Amino acid sequence: MSETNGKCGCDAEVESPGKRKLLGWIVGVINLGLIAAIVGPVAGFIGSPLARKRKGTWIELANVDDIADGSIEEIPFSIEVKDGYRIAEHKYSVFLRREANSFTAFDPACTHLGCRIKYQQRQHRFICPCHGGVFDDSGNVVSGPPPRSLDTHKLKIEAGKVWLYKEV
Amino acid sequence: MARETLTPESPVEHPSPPTTPEEKLERDRPGLKEWLDLRLGWWGFVRKNLDEEMPPGVGWWQTLGNLLLTLLIFQFTTGVALAMFYTASPEGAYQSVKHITYEVPLGSFVRGLHIWGSSAIVVVMVLHTLRVFFWGSYKKPRELTWVVGVLIFQVILAFSFTGYLLPWDQKAYWATVVGTRIAGTVPFIGDSLVVLIRGSEEVGALTLTRFYAAHVMILPAILLALVGLHLYLVRRHHIAGPVVPQRGKPVPFYPNQLFKDAVVLLFGIGIVIYFALAFPPSLEALADPTGTDFAPRPEWYFLGLYELLKIMPPGYELLATIIIPGMISIGMLILPWLDRSKSRHPAARQWIIFMGLAVILLIGVLTLKGILETPVHPEGGHSAVANFVPLT
Ligand code: FES
Repeated sequence: MSETNGKCGCDAEVESPGKRKLLGWIVGVINLGLIAAIVGPVAGFIGSPLARKRKGTWIELANVDDIADGSIEEIPFSIEVKDGYRIAEHKYSVFLRREANSFTAFDPACTHLGCRIKYQQRQHRFICPCHGGVFDDSGNVVSGPPPRSLDTHKLKIEAGKVWLYKEV
Repeated sequence: MARETLTPESPVEHPSPPTTPEEKLERDRPGLKEWLDLRLGWWGFVRKNLDEEMPPGVGWWQTLGNLLLTLLIFQFTTGVALAMFYTASPEGAYQSVKHITYEVPLGSFVRGLHIWGSSAIVVVMVLHTLRVFFWGSYKKPRELTWVVGVLIFQVILAFSFTGYLLPWDQKAYWATVVGTRIAGTVPFIGDSLVVLIRGSEEVGALTLTRFYAAHVMILPAILLALVGLHLYLVRRHHIAGPVVPQRGKPVPFYPNQLFKDAVVLLFGIGIVIYFALAFPPSLEALADPTGTDFAPRPEWYFLGLYELLKIMPPGYELLATIIIPGMISIGMLILPWLDRSKSRHPAARQWIIFMGLAVILLIGVLTLKGILETPVHPEGGHSAVANFVPLT
């Protein structure tokens, strides 16, 4: 056995199989540690948006008296949002529907894949330009691929005004 | 050996010129070319590749891989150039792309090469894949060459998706809103996936930096590794040749096949340059999350998926977003193991050919439907100019 070891033909010292196995094992453990040392922090860093807490605020939308009974109006508003490293004024809007004294605020994002719906006054329909989703005045799906009715926002009426709760 | 038997009577021997690399290394003053070659072994490598034998029947169809590689090098080069003028922030992205497109000398051309290059890459990649599919070249021992190729295919699509957002115009913004929401349809973890991809709940500054990092760092690194592996495997297992072996002698890659490659490159790259000049890139209006007069549409090669989403009845959208695309991707990846026939002949693997044709037909018809239904821009091809003026 010893004479075939190494090119020089001399008696190279042979480690015992046990020692070789142990060393190989330690190298493996060190490598795993190194992988964990780089993957752990980087994954936590990249994944940190998952842990972000959303903050909710009440926003004044409109005067109750300005919204006619039976109408649906698009109301734009904007909020200061912390968008990563920057604080920016983000524009949003909702479709505010009034029926007698009850108000509903539909989110303009289509429930299919998030395109922006439009309200067609004459047909009394919300139309999505992307894949042809159609919703009725109550936000229910009439046709197209959207899986559920339009999302609505929490509202409150205070001092003659409609307030909307928005999480950003 | 010879030295030991030398006697004064031995004939005078002139040192013979060195022949083995070791002898050459010992030589005092090799020329620069030789000095380099002795260290790099470059010429041997080049020769080996130029002398690679092409089985008879290899010809024009086998030039597509080279064209793809060249298009990728062009894409890489124009991409680096564009990155020198680009800023990945919601304030800067649109302005910097506008600057590139309308102010920097040759900016429109370089961006045009990048945009049309991306389309060309998809077209050539599809043709290359179809050639390998119909020739059955993915069979033993080239299974992994195929698998790596399919991975390259997917990386290219990821390139396209991430690059689309970077100009931060309406088209870019809305295609990304919709595209990222597709991940949201994954059961249970969908919402978290969307946040992870967007870097936030909404598409914003962090989405842009995320996509930019993916587009210029992560994906190029992956692509480079995969292309290297693909080329290595292609050379290791050699070209498969026609399905039915043809009579004749194999010919070396150089010069016949390389000449064909060069001709195809000339045409392929020529077409991209023509398109970049004839149809310069444009820019839509700045991304506006509240803008209503915009119907988002994806890049043409995603129109098949787009149309699939459209025709799905409510409640079945998972089929269009995950299941069908996922099954096609997985089916492509495991194709060499789905197709168990020994022979590469299409007749010997009818059901695979049939499935392939069905998928091609599905994607083809849907893409065509999408292209035909694409509204022509009211202001014509140069709508961006109209947008450009009031914004300055
Ligand atoms: S996003 Fe509205 S129908 Fe698809």
